[in-house]
Amino acid sequence: MTGKGTAGFTCPYCGKRFDTFEELKQDILTSHRGSPLPAPEGQIRLIVNGQEHVENVEPSWTLYHLIHDRLGMTGSKQFCDRGACGSCTVIMDGLPVLSCMVLAIECDGRTIETVEGIARDNHPLIESYVEHHAMQCGYCTPGFVVTSKALLDRNPDPTEEEIRDALSGNLCRCGTYPQHIIAVREAAGRLPGHKDSGGV
Amino acid sequence: MGIHSDDQKAKMKEMQDNLQADTHPLKRYRHIGERGGRRLDGYKKAGGDADYTMDVQLPGMLFMRFLDAPYPHAKIVRMDTRRAEQLPGVRFILRYDNPELPEKASMGKLPGLYGDQPPLPGIAHFEGEPVGAAVAADTESIAEEALSLIEVEWEQRPFNLDVIRAREEDAPLSYPEMYPAGNYWNNGLFNELVQGDVKKGFAASDRVIEFEFFRRGHTWIGPERPCGVFRWNGDCPELWVKQQRPHLVKKNLSTWYGGVPMNKIQLHCLYQGASFGGWVQVSWNMGPLYCAGFVARKTGRPVKYVFTRREDFYGESMDNGRYRYKVGFKKDGTILAVEGVSTIVNQQWPMFNVMNHFRENTKIPHLYGRSESVWVNKGPAVPTRCEQLPTTLSMTMVFSRVAAECGLDPVEVALKNDGYEGHDMVRLEEEKRQRGFPATDSLKECVDRGRAAFGWDDRWHPPGTRRLSNGRMHGVAFTWTNEWDDSLGTGEIAIRIERNDGTASILAMGCDNGVDAENTYCRIAADELGMRLQDVHYNPQTDPGFFRMSPDSSTNASVNGWAVRHAARILKQQILQAAVSPTAQTQRGEYRPAFEDCTPEDLDIEESVIFRKSDPSVRKSLADFVMEAGQSGPISSTENAGFRWAFTEPFFAFGYHVQLGSYNPENPRPHLTRQAHFLEVEVDSETGEIFITKAVNVNDVGKAMNPMSCEGQQYGGTIMGLSRGKFEEMIYDSVTGVMLNGNLLDYKIATIKDVEAPIGTILVESGMGYGPYGSVGIGEDIGTVMTGILGPAVHNAIGVWIDDHPITPDKVLKALGKA
Repeated sequence: MTGKGTAGFTCPYCGKRFDTFEELKQDILTSHRGSPLPAPEGQIRLIVNGQEHVENVEPSWTLYHLIHDRLGMTGSKQFCDRGACGSCTVIMDGLPVLSCMVLAIECDGRTIETVEGIARDNHPLIESYVEHHAMQCGYCTPGFVVTSKALLDRNPDPTEEEIRDALSGNLCRCGTYPQHIIAVREAAGRLPGHKDSGGV
Repeated sequence: MGIHSDDQKAKMKEMQDNLQADTHPLKRYRHIGERGGRRLDGYKKAGGDADYTMDVQLPGMLFMRFLDAPYPHAKIVRMDTRRAEQLPGVRFILRYDNPELPEKASMGKLPGLYGDQPPLPGIAHFEGEPVGAAVAADTESIAEEALSLIEVEWEQRPFNLDVIRAREEDAPLSYPEMYPAGNYWNNGLFNELVQGDVKKGFAASDRVIEFEFFRRGHTWIGPERPCGVFRWNGDCPELWVKQQRPHLVKKNLSTWYGGVPMNKIQLHCLYQGASFGGWVQVSWNMGPLYCAGFVARKTGRPVKYVFTRREDFYGESMDNGRYRYKVGFKKDGTILAVEGVSTIVNQQWPMFNVMNHFRENTKIPHLYGRSESVWVNKGPAVPTRCEQLPTTLSMTMVFSRVAAECGLDPVEVALKNDGYEGHDMVRLEEEKRQRGFPATDSLKECVDRGRAAFGWDDRWHPPGTRRLSNGRMHGVAFTWTNEWDDSLGTGEIAIRIERNDGTASILAMGCDNGVDAENTYCRIAADELGMRLQDVHYNPQTDPGFFRMSPDSSTNASVNGWAVRHAARILKQQILQAAVSPTAQTQRGEYRPAFEDCTPEDLDIEESVIFRKSDPSVRKSLADFVMEAGQSGPISSTENAGFRWAFTEPFFAFGYHVQLGSYNPENPRPHLTRQAHFLEVEVDSETGEIFITKAVNVNDVGKAMNPMSCEGQQYGGTIMGLSRGKFEEMIYDSVTGVMLNGNLLDYKIATIKDVEAPIGTILVESGMGYGPYGSVGIGEDIGTVMTGILGPAVHNAIGVWIDDHPITPDKVLKALGKA
């Protein structure tokens, strides 16, 4: 939007148009002196696993594309192509979302948690998934872990039925479903503050 | 001493004849069979660190997408790619008529069958087939947009989708380029099976019944879509592939582009997002890779191709078709004759005869089986967990029918007919004794344990006779068959002892599909070497120099497990021999042995420590024995400084195993172990909905080397099998030939909500398998056997047969006369 357009020059701060560059320059010096330069169109700031990222994104990019292809966090997987499998799930502002169904441009100011962050924080889900073989080919596993983490964040002691409900959007072709119930229940028991964890 | 110990090498060759029981068993197991233990790949997969080919990104990489045929049978007459070429970001468009493309290239795996195919065809034989053009662009979305700009003039041809119509004389030819004479294809392997004389059997029977059923096409649904990345490093190709059999890629590639020496090909096979056979079996998967390599060379940039989810939907399992049966039996359930004819579509592999399992594990004297393959305008059908679907489906249907007709418990009918190749159990017991196996009645043990765990005796009832208090009809079903006999294969595996810490690395082809086979190999190596499990690790090789039997799928442990065992035994002998020998000989003389005045036989290894058997206090850890590497490598330079710092020779051994298996029509040995499966359902007779309420799997695995892995295949296979039985079918529009449900919303697979019932898993260990320690394969069979069991369970509930699988609610209502 900046630069010479059909109607002359556009102010990058307020969008006002000017016929000449000198007029634009004068306006900036008088009206916007000292103001921080506005973000270019398509630039977003977001927190991913506790770290701030400033990214220039294209309008068609999904959050999955940004996380997987641009930020290199390849734990988010693409199994289906239309929000049907749950393998690309990330946590956005506390809620599980399908990153393939969210536009990256909409994520300005958002806080994202991916499976890499969950693993880095040594969440008990990781250990219980490994211990109970809640995986086979493993392609869908990160999506299950992230969805389960979001469940435990809002419900630290879920029932078997609540776990089934939470994970009902995650597909696993290897058929590991029974182990997820066991693993999530056990991870819940290891959460700090849980009656079985022995912790605070 | 040489790399190979002669003694162990002789034993290795001896054990390649697995017709007999294991003649050199391990004296005791420590890690083999141990319950628990973390998966080797666990943290990587749970934490998102496991990389798959889909995740590969290289600097400057282009993305390749293919044009998909809009018609089920059509030839490209003219194609205009000019508008697509002008789209910014498009770097190369490979056309089917590019003069540098060969007419055909090696794409296949079985010589003489369908080996050579066009890398990029100009004729489509099914809707959705990637044909005509491949676009390489800076991004996937640019490639996709460019495809929409390609103008194609198609010559539409007559097509046919129907298995019965395909055999009619005036039916259109579905694949005329490959099969110009007709739609029927007899590849000459396993097509006909004859045992005894069925006419005599029918004549001697109390009852003879005839019936037919259909199984509709279903597919593998590999979570990771088909994909590959191709880069040229000078004249050396480097590839990343999603492939269960990466050595085949290398073999084919060596013949492409004018020929590439095998030793210049670097191939990476990362974690595999599963395909259950499926995709990887098809020549269809080699063409895109050929195109990627072609374009990578032209552009000087790496090229990644990824199939769309829809493109991956066109492959089928090998059981789509019509099955006709005639069965003669006595009133007591003794079956005298079975005649079966299957007509199934688009078999790209040799068919597994529809009557094979009847021959292999029953005493039924008279059998006739014919398997016909016909071509229709659908995608290729390949082994998808697995090619034995038709025969196990037939076992389930025939035995359930006979039991229902006789009013007998199907478990009793199975026990009454158990045997092999027309012989009864007395003869089978004699076979076991002669071959040195323990004489266990495998089916009886499986049935007894399963019946108790399931509560079968309380739950089974005559068909259509039990309505529950919730208003639903209650039904149960039972099925059984023999061990998985897909034991044909080769495994090559090496083990090396690392300097400095004495840990062991298993070196073999990398290709993980998720069955935790690598963990099993570590257990074998640890027990055979006398090492702690944590001291053994599987280091997958990026290059398939070591062949492994379909590396992580069909009968991997029963073939590759032998190779690990052989390698470990050879290596142990090397270590013990070295322990009593001069640790080195240099120009300055000999170094003293680590263990003096004794022979290798005086020593043993346990817990990664070498010790003298007569005095275990004389000991040295493997780490101390192999010693630290010096500054200049394993041979310490300190000798030059005046110390005598001994060193050991490199410890490396390889083992291999070649197993003929029972795929040979001349069955080399009877099938000795059995499996039994039980299912309970409730059927809502108002809505037709089927609720699965209980399942129990019992598998005689011979020896459960990695019990949790075995159980994973039991419950995982049950879920996949029941998903196929209940939901799965690719649906085509009969007018246009277009697939209507090629996505994961419209093609249903089981979710966690569909498997709320408990799945019992029981492992029987009779030691009668062909694998190491008497093991047999388990990965393929439950998903295969359980695919057909829903039909008999629903029959037991509603009292009406539904002869059209999958068993969906609309078919239930139709059977009940309500739709």
